[in-house]
Amino acid sequence: MNDLPLAGVRVADFGWIFAVPHTTSWLGALGADVIRIESPKRPDLVRFLGATDGTPGINRSGLFHSINFSKRSIALDLTTNGGADVARRLVSMSDIVTENFGTGVMAKFGLDYENLRAVKPDLVMMSGTPLGQTGPLSGAIGYGPNSLAFSGISHLTGYPGGEPSGIGGTWPDFVVGVVMVMGVLAALHHRDRTGEGQYIDMSIAEMVTGMLPEAMLDFFLNGHEQGPIGNRDADIAPHGAFPAAGEDQWVAIVTVSDAEFAGLCEVLNAPALAADARFQTMAARLQNVDALERELSELTRKFDRDDLVTKLRERGIATGPMYNTAEIMDDPSMQESGMHVVLDHKEVGKRLIPVLPVTFSGFKPIYYGGPAIGEHTDEVLSGLLGFSNEEIARLRKEGGVL
Amino acid sequence: MDSSKQMPAALDDLKVVELPMLDPMPFFAASLAAKTMADLGAEVLKIEPPKAGAQDRHYGPVGRSGPDSETRALHLYLDCNKLGATLDITNPRGGELLMRILGGADVVFNPNPPPLNDRLGLAWRTLCDRFPRLVVVSTTFFGSDSLYRNFRGGDLVATEMSGVGYETPFNQVTDPPNHPPLRAAERQADYMTGYTAAAAAMVALEGRKRSGKAQHIDVNQWLSMVSTIRINVGQLSHDAPRSGMSRRLYVRRKTNAGWIYPCRDGFISFRSSPGNFWEGAVRMLESPEWTKEPIFATELLRLKNSDAMDALLTNWFMQYDKEEIFQRAQAQGVPCFPLYNVREVAENRQYKARDFFLKCDHPVAGHFQLPGPPYRMSRTPVTVRRPAPRLGEHNVAIFCERLGISRDQLNALQSEGVI
Repeated sequence: MNDLPLAGVRVADFGWIFAVPHTTSWLGALGADVIRIESPKRPDLVRFLGATDGTPGINRSGLFHSINFSKRSIALDLTTNGGADVARRLVSMSDIVTENFGTGVMAKFGLDYENLRAVKPDLVMMSGTPLGQTGPLSGAIGYGPNSLAFSGISHLTGYPGGEPSGIGGTWPDFVVGVVMVMGVLAALHHRDRTGEGQYIDMSIAEMVTGMLPEAMLDFFLNGHEQGPIGNRDADIAPHGAFPAAGEDQWVAIVTVSDAEFAGLCEVLNAPALAADARFQTMAARLQNVDALERELSELTRKFDRDDLVTKLRERGIATGPMYNTAEIMDDPSMQESGMHVVLDHKEVGKRLIPVLPVTFSGFKPIYYGGPAIGEHTDEVLSGLLGFSNEEIARLRKEGGVL
Repeated sequence: MDSSKQMPAALDDLKVVELPMLDPMPFFAASLAAKTMADLGAEVLKIEPPKAGAQDRHYGPVGRSGPDSETRALHLYLDCNKLGATLDITNPRGGELLMRILGGADVVFNPNPPPLNDRLGLAWRTLCDRFPRLVVVSTTFFGSDSLYRNFRGGDLVATEMSGVGYETPFNQVTDPPNHPPLRAAERQADYMTGYTAAAAAMVALEGRKRSGKAQHIDVNQWLSMVSTIRINVGQLSHDAPRSGMSRRLYVRRKTNAGWIYPCRDGFISFRSSPGNFWEGAVRMLESPEWTKEPIFATELLRLKNSDAMDALLTNWFMQYDKEEIFQRAQAQGVPCFPLYNVREVAENRQYKARDFFLKCDHPVAGHFQLPGPPYRMSRTPVTVRRPAPRLGEHNVAIFCERLGISRDQLNALQSEGVI
């Protein structure tokens, strides 16, 4: 009944930090056998990040668990010949390799695409870096949020006329995650039809710039250089987050027609606003957007946030509350969605974990808690890769297996 | 352009249909998802309402060189590599033609709100029952079957409800009452949803390969955006105190050194955490006395005293230009990038060396460049095979040549406004 769509696919995952682990958790939840290669000598720093219950430990991070479900972990030292040999043997039995080290690091281990395709000719390999594998700046390092600066989106995000900004949720790391899923599955599709593997070079900054088509084409078509416009929209007003009663309470409101704007005024008990010549048409509202937002804010401030949202929804107006994380988790529709599930972890026990945001009618993804570091080393080396206990003991002694 | 037609494409055995968004709220998730597959070689047919055309002809900047509806930036970008046909899918005869089109398709992306789909006979269960091999992807504001299925949302609403707005701007808010939570530039929630939908469609196609059966995928814009703050959920569920996460100011406090700093000629993004990056930063700064202060001795202390550290770092950054700081930081292995405006993005040497911007010739908009794909595939590169279609450009190819409708019938349907 529950045929997982990626059953039979194996992924050797050399990724770390946020983006690639998120990708391989998708693949694992869809049925792929994801084996993450880690080194306790140079562990993923995410294993030490984020809130825990106060007890320190490499297997206790909530951050790590939120992006490492549905995969196994083996512990290798890739800087040793023995560790790299084990990794190559794993790759020879895998369909996909993922990694996001700096450019050249995999080559240093003898694990670059050229070396790996020698052991697995139809391999699909995906590398993610801030600026890509080629070009004069290919060696530059940075986290996902650093690459926002290079991409143009930080320049374009901010209050009108204000300073540039980063974006919440360590953007763009979790966008990268799903884009990589798309890329490797497209390559897998091509492989299944032709027998050909390939190498995928993903530049995070390029991906983000590709999500700015309006600013980039405005420049290429018209030579116009855009700047930040806050929550506004060039064609729609009102289009913003408006204050509600209380401290730091906000309601997003968008009306796309004059009729919807009239409905908004009615909900706000503001017939004068509805009749105001400055706000009669979309063109007029766009022209007088400063005054419009000022007047709307004075009105929305009188309402309880959730009460206003309910009234606007009843009128069919696009709206929603500004939520913090705790409020998101408490939302009734979030709770029914199945996106936050309780998974069991070796050391911290049962915890709520965000899983895939998507519902498939044909199967249920398989979710299990993030692995302890090296938790599956023996199982994978003996069960899958066929090493004898003596060989494993020797590799451990020599330091290749940790 | 012609030579690129010969290059192999990863998805050139697939047929994809993109339905028009009929709610007036702009929503481009389905359009981006379909573009993602078109760029990889799938035949994507974009169905547009007759006369008005799709939403991407109505929003965002307009090119100088032609009528608005053919030169909108969103249209030129999102519809590149697609075929375009017009069809009124709210008309019963239009609906019948749509069913014939879907009968030959592998994937359909439908952005319409669930209540509208119910009325039009396009509910996902109806489509799945009728076309067992068709992957039906709904991109919705709040889900096809959820408590909120009837609510309207969109890019801004999803951003604010997902926690991304709560954390944006990222580290600048000192007086939340006067600074509303922000959305990111352009339509990131639409695009995040679109990429999620494209990835999920590939998943279902993999499943179909194995089981022979297609399925429905529900891609909810709000949940797609919540997926991007997943580490916060993980933190909270691992006993982080809820109180600390309930104010936006905390976002600023929880960072060590922040991300964006002013410098002499603009801004840079800079990160000196964890400790090995701090050591590199100290070398970059040429070991000034303040870096040896006990208040900056450990990661935790630097976090606690990040305001003081940021001020001292800024003093140093203000002496240099962004390119110079970029070089100096990278030389010490510290994450740092210059912050570019649109012109600098368009002209930077890295993108140029990689030919990131693709060239496109369009019969109305002329010659221009557009951003390339998010990944470079060594065997199946993304190329511009055809520019965005003019309204109804492929009507004859689809309705006459493929579905076998005569020219007379086509003309009749056109005069009735069905096509």
